Amino acid sequence: MAPAVSEPFSGDDLARRRAASRRLGWAIGIAVLALYIIGLFFKR
Amino acid sequence: MSIATTHPAEHHADHHPSGMLRWLTTTNHKDIGTMYLTFSLIMFFVGGAMILAVRAELWQPGLQLMQPEFFNQLIGVHALVMIFAALMPAATGFANWMIPLMIGAPDMALPRLNNWGFWILPPAAILLTLPFTLALMGIGDGAIATGWTFYAPLSVQGGMGVDFAILSVHMLGISSIMGSINIIVTIFNMRAPGMTMMKLPLFAWGWLITAFLLIATLPVLAGAVTMLLTDRHFGTHFFDAAGGGDPILFQHLFWFFGHPEVYILLLPVWGLMPHVLSTFTRKPTYGYKAQVYSFIAIGLLSVVVWAHHFFTVGLPVPALIYFMFSTMLISLPLAVLFFCWIATMWKGAMTFETPMLFAVGFIVLFGIAGLTGLILADVAADAQYHHSYFVVAHFHYALFAGGIMGVMTGVYYWLPKWTGHMYSEKLGKWHFWLTVVSFNLTFIPQFFLGLAGMPRRIPDYALQFAEFNAISTVGAFILGISQLLFAWNIWLCVRGGPKAEGRVWEGAEGLEWELSSPPPHHSWETQPVVK
Repeated sequence: MAPAVSEPFSGDDLARRRAASRRLGWAIGIAVLALYIIGLFFKR
Repeated sequence: MSIATTHPAEHHADHHPSGMLRWLTTTNHKDIGTMYLTFSLIMFFVGGAMILAVRAELWQPGLQLMQPEFFNQLIGVHALVMIFAALMPAATGFANWMIPLMIGAPDMALPRLNNWGFWILPPAAILLTLPFTLALMGIGDGAIATGWTFYAPLSVQGGMGVDFAILSVHMLGISSIMGSINIIVTIFNMRAPGMTMMKLPLFAWGWLITAFLLIATLPVLAGAVTMLLTDRHFGTHFFDAAGGGDPILFQHLFWFFGHPEVYILLLPVWGLMPHVLSTFTRKPTYGYKAQVYSFIAIGLLSVVVWAHHFFTVGLPVPALIYFMFSTMLISLPLAVLFFCWIATMWKGAMTFETPMLFAVGFIVLFGIAGLTGLILADVAADAQYHHSYFVVAHFHYALFAGGIMGVMTGVYYWLPKWTGHMYSEKLGKWHFWLTVVSFNLTFIPQFFLGLAGMPRRIPDYALQFAEFNAISTVGAFILGISQLLFAWNIWLCVRGGPKAEGRVWEGAEGLEWELSSPPPHHSWETQPVVK
């Protein structure tokens, strides 16, 4: 692995990465909530 | 790594609040990492003080210092504090500090979520321990006294300490889920150009699997303790046999979380080990892909083996056989990890600075945890050892020698990077040797106590167990006191000391070592390209 200095993070690139992170974050969060709520209705 | 990027901290005109406001409002991954680690260290001493009181009670047979109810409370809260408020936050502190540096990201992907995730922790820890104080004022009957497992029906009948613990566990769980979401999305979305998943540092891989395990299992724990709460206060009977419920259902739900939790505590450490071993052997990590696939295999297996924690409860024979063999199966990927760690050291130019001492100590002592775990995985043997001190000794080899000594490895390894100063090697080595010797002095006698039949979670015991208990108590106090050296060494290093270079260790490889020590406030403003 050899790092080389490339270029500064551009505002657009960071915004794109953060938006993708937010979307995935919400998806995981909703999955967690669903698992929790559905679990409460589980019957033996 | 031939081309170093220079990010001198003084080039950054960072305008952020100072004083307490800085720590309350910070979204910087390094600040939040520091808060997690500081919180973890404080709670490590809180949990440690509790168990020293327990060991003092066990110094000799008979009741010496406390009533059995208080003894039970100390044991339960010790475990909850050490697991949820010491070990997990330490690993999260590592992740916050190091993952962005390692993958070439300027910060975590969701910085505000990061801040919230941390600030849920202190109130949760206060909730967990507050019933002790309230009991002193005549309110309630003390903290949760069920052990960390909340087993029903004891927890359904317990005092208000159980409610405090249930609320606390919900909050701790929410904090961990926030942290996990942030780590997953950071690793997926914020990597430097060229850093493919198969070039991801093993520490980040270990944490990625950990984060998925937390996401998969914490909602189940939260659901179980919510059901417990409704059983206690809202007339449901999920776990009450008299109302058609089943107390064993609680054990299934709890351990569906509880067993992966062991790997949640250990996977970040397993991810860290190859970095440390490679650095101090001056050799590339052996078996990168094998370690990644082992992490994944362990993660998958960890969610299908939970019932080995309650073999003796009366499970059907096919279930016993399944859970026995699936549990034993985990030893295969774990053996691959051990093989890779040892192969990394093989014929390396090894030096034994404090992090390397802790890493080697970890491998040896954690090996004992693995081997005694195999014994407990055997249904027939477990019938003998279940609920004995053998189990206590086993899981302390896993969680102290594996978890906490792993965390100490990481602290000594990265402390110069975080602070810009070298710690005292002399103090570090004293800390290591005192810890290793006193740890074994504490827990080897507990194996023998368990083999001789001493049950866990009792304040009084038969006279035949007196000698081993006395030895164990002496060891525990030396172990506890020697941790002050650790805190003192950290304090000295934060305050000053010889200046650390960007690449702190001669053999260190990875993006994190390309930055100055301490790194600039914004870690990577210029994105590195990994080839």
